[in-house]
Amino acid sequence: MSAHHHVSAPERTRVTPSGLAGRGRLATLFGAALCVLAVVLGFVQEEGMARLQHGWLLAVTFFVTLGLGGLFFVLVQYLVRAGWSVVVRRLAEHLAGSLPLMGLLLLPVVIPTLFGNGQLYHWADPHELAESHLLQEKAPYLNGWFLLVRVAIYVGVWTLLVRAFNRRSLAQDDTGDPSMTIWMQKRAAPSVLAFALTLTFFAFDMLMSLSYEWFSTIFGVYVFAGSAVALFATLVLLALRFEGRGELRGIVTTEHYHDLGKLLFAFVFFWGYIAFSQFMLIWYGDIPEETVWFQQRWVGSWKYVSLLLLFGHFLLPFVGLLSRHVKRNRSLLASWAVLLLLMHLVDLYWLIMPTLSPEGASIGLIDFACLSGVGGLFLGGLWRRIDGKPLVPLRDPRLGESLAFQNL
Amino acid sequence: MVITAATEPKRAHVAAPVVDVLSDDPTQRPPLMTGENDFTSITDDVCGIAEREATPRAWYIAFAASVTGMTVMFAMLGYLIFNGVGVWGNNQPVAWGWPIVNFVFWVGIGHAGTLISAILFLFRQGWRTSINRFAEAMTIFAVCCAGIFPAVHIGRVWMAYYLFPIPNQMEMWPNFRSPLLWDVFAVSAYALTSLMFWYMGMIPDLATLRDRAKGKVRQIAYGIASMGWTGSARQWHRYEKAYLLLAGLATPLVLSVHSVVSFDFAVSQVPGWHTTIFPPYFVAGAIFSGFAMVVTLMIPARQFFGLKHLVTMKHLEIMCKIILATGMMVGYAYAIEFFIAWYGGNPYERFAFINRAMGPYAWAYWTMATCNVLVPQLFWFKKLRTNLWVMMGVCILVNVGMWFERFVITVISLSRDFLPSSWDYFKPTAVDVLTFAGSFGLFFTLFLLFCRYLPMVAMAEVKTVLPQAHAGHGLHAEEPAR
Repeated sequence: MSAHHHVSAPERTRVTPSGLAGRGRLATLFGAALCVLAVVLGFVQEEGMARLQHGWLLAVTFFVTLGLGGLFFVLVQYLVRAGWSVVVRRLAEHLAGSLPLMGLLLLPVVIPTLFGNGQLYHWADPHELAESHLLQEKAPYLNGWFLLVRVAIYVGVWTLLVRAFNRRSLAQDDTGDPSMTIWMQKRAAPSVLAFALTLTFFAFDMLMSLSYEWFSTIFGVYVFAGSAVALFATLVLLALRFEGRGELRGIVTTEHYHDLGKLLFAFVFFWGYIAFSQFMLIWYGDIPEETVWFQQRWVGSWKYVSLLLLFGHFLLPFVGLLSRHVKRNRSLLASWAVLLLLMHLVDLYWLIMPTLSPEGASIGLIDFACLSGVGGLFLGGLWRRIDGKPLVPLRDPRLGESLAFQNL
Repeated sequence: MVITAATEPKRAHVAAPVVDVLSDDPTQRPPLMTGENDFTSITDDVCGIAEREATPRAWYIAFAASVTGMTVMFAMLGYLIFNGVGVWGNNQPVAWGWPIVNFVFWVGIGHAGTLISAILFLFRQGWRTSINRFAEAMTIFAVCCAGIFPAVHIGRVWMAYYLFPIPNQMEMWPNFRSPLLWDVFAVSAYALTSLMFWYMGMIPDLATLRDRAKGKVRQIAYGIASMGWTGSARQWHRYEKAYLLLAGLATPLVLSVHSVVSFDFAVSQVPGWHTTIFPPYFVAGAIFSGFAMVVTLMIPARQFFGLKHLVTMKHLEIMCKIILATGMMVGYAYAIEFFIAWYGGNPYERFAFINRAMGPYAWAYWTMATCNVLVPQLFWFKKLRTNLWVMMGVCILVNVGMWFERFVITVISLSRDFLPSSWDYFKPTAVDVLTFAGSFGLFFTLFLLFCRYLPMVAMAEVKTVLPQAHAGHGLHAEEPAR
């Protein structure tokens, strides 16, 4: 064990970022403008609407999964009564805080299904429904109105959870009341349950049903694994950002990066395990109605995207993050975090886009516009939430434990 | 607990304050152990069990019962080998009957130990130190029981070495594309690693027993077993390094063993078997049943051997929480399987699941669902998960439920396959039942020997989580300047 620690809580003013609200507004404006541009491009370009819907879904699910990762992190810290993580928990709370807005942004892909627009979700097309016996079997579940209800439930549950946890955590900064922590500890377990179910069916509805004939029981776990990887990569990058600005300097230390790195590594491995389980069982079983999904991802240039995932999302970061040295080195860890965040995007791209361009991977201007548009709205919200609030849960009962934390 | 006058420890002078170990108060971390423990008292308490002169009568009674059970099992195996697998209930269409169910059941039980020793070590869970030795021992004995079933299941047991890819002049190789062969590798790798982990972790404690041993026999036996451990700083340094490395290597094994076991089913096209969630679902189920078995054994053991101050209610409560969590994961998998069976639209898959819940084996399915999903819900309530009788009852039912889960998966899907003309209702024979019942005899025989002669609690590790090991560490933040 290490030497005696004398830990003092940081000053409120030092850990409270300021001047981010203006930047946040700018990001929101920029994002909104690009969203408009994306829509305009969608109308103007040939087959632009289909691409717009796919690109929009990709952008929104990317940021929704980041938010879900943040929510997962917050809930689990209370569930397991963790001490080490208090200094980075506020960052995850802010990430989760994006869920209500990002959830709302799902409407543009849900509402068209109500009007029989099957450009994104082919099951919503009335002609498809009339011709496909299989789809008729699934119609009680796969129909526009029910989808709208379900998405409203998911986003409603996430909003409730985010509000319940974030508000209490922030209130504790002023009161230091341990009963807040106790309240959250008590609710963490059922909340994780609600989280697991909503995430699973969100993944089924928004991603798996893109190929409505295909199904995989592990799909929810797969999307969860990817979200967790993205979350830990984002936490590393955000912590570094605010360490650089000064708010977290001397508070988030090499020890915390080391632990975030371990979890990043663990979830890279977990993602690989889940992805392999899904692929191997379908490949081995060799039933056409299942293999078709992987077949589509092996056509033309999709093959290279699949291989990119295998190496970039699993094998390389697995080897890269194995060493203790890497996890304790800020710039090396940051490079892997950037790569993995990108790979999460590629993963979602690989899940979504083959229904748009089955002949091979393609990227359009609209995709960039959607991604930077929704990204601008996401960042704008994030900066405004972060602005003016302590970035460290100042009077969390376990803050001392986290500040003094050392890996052995 | 036998403490003679000569070994009467100098108990710590600082009286431990009365604390609620079950407290969820975030402003403090309750101590992991209760009572006035110090380094000496822990050594005395744990070694005392292995050192007592007279073996208690209750141990003999339990041992006799276990050996009887074990003998029954070996007699049944002898009968089986002499007569062939026809003495079992296995037949077409249910060619995989009880032996495979029992194999998966026992391998599953053997999951808690390495999870506790490896994964919880990486997660810095200090409470694991009180239970890891015990759980690892249980793991190894469970894997021993598991290994028997596939070995005798091959029919001609004397050819069992063909399971391994041994170079031979006939150029006869096992089928590397078969998950059954992967099982051989996965389970044997797991058994070896668990054994190595368990044994390596025990070396410092064996050396303690050696140093305290009175008789020649004990001195020599523990002396050989402790492999020249002197407790020098250099040895400790290497020991800790090796422990961390082994923990890292064992962690993927915890996932891989039951994932590969699940492949036995999931790579096929049989409805109810072929589903992608099987690997993580089997792993969750294995941890679920493994923890249930640890609690089932730990409750009487801590009572009987006087270890209540080392394995406290807090330890049991945490294990119950893990049982609840993994039980919910298993429940999640049941639900998702059902949903996707409907959503997938495949009539055979739909039938397989309707048949599970409403067919001739509905009783087995609902036993499984009740024991694995409904009963653990009791653990939501702190009052119930800290009540020894409730704990014991739930954990035994969980073990029953997990056996039935494997029965449901293995037998129901096979009994009604694609061809209705070949459908049949599987019935086990007396040999099936006695072999399985007898396997508990083997398990408990090994377990009782462990309790009698080896250190049941990892003394060296427990001492590292005592408050004395961290004297002078104030980890409390001051009130913030506002």
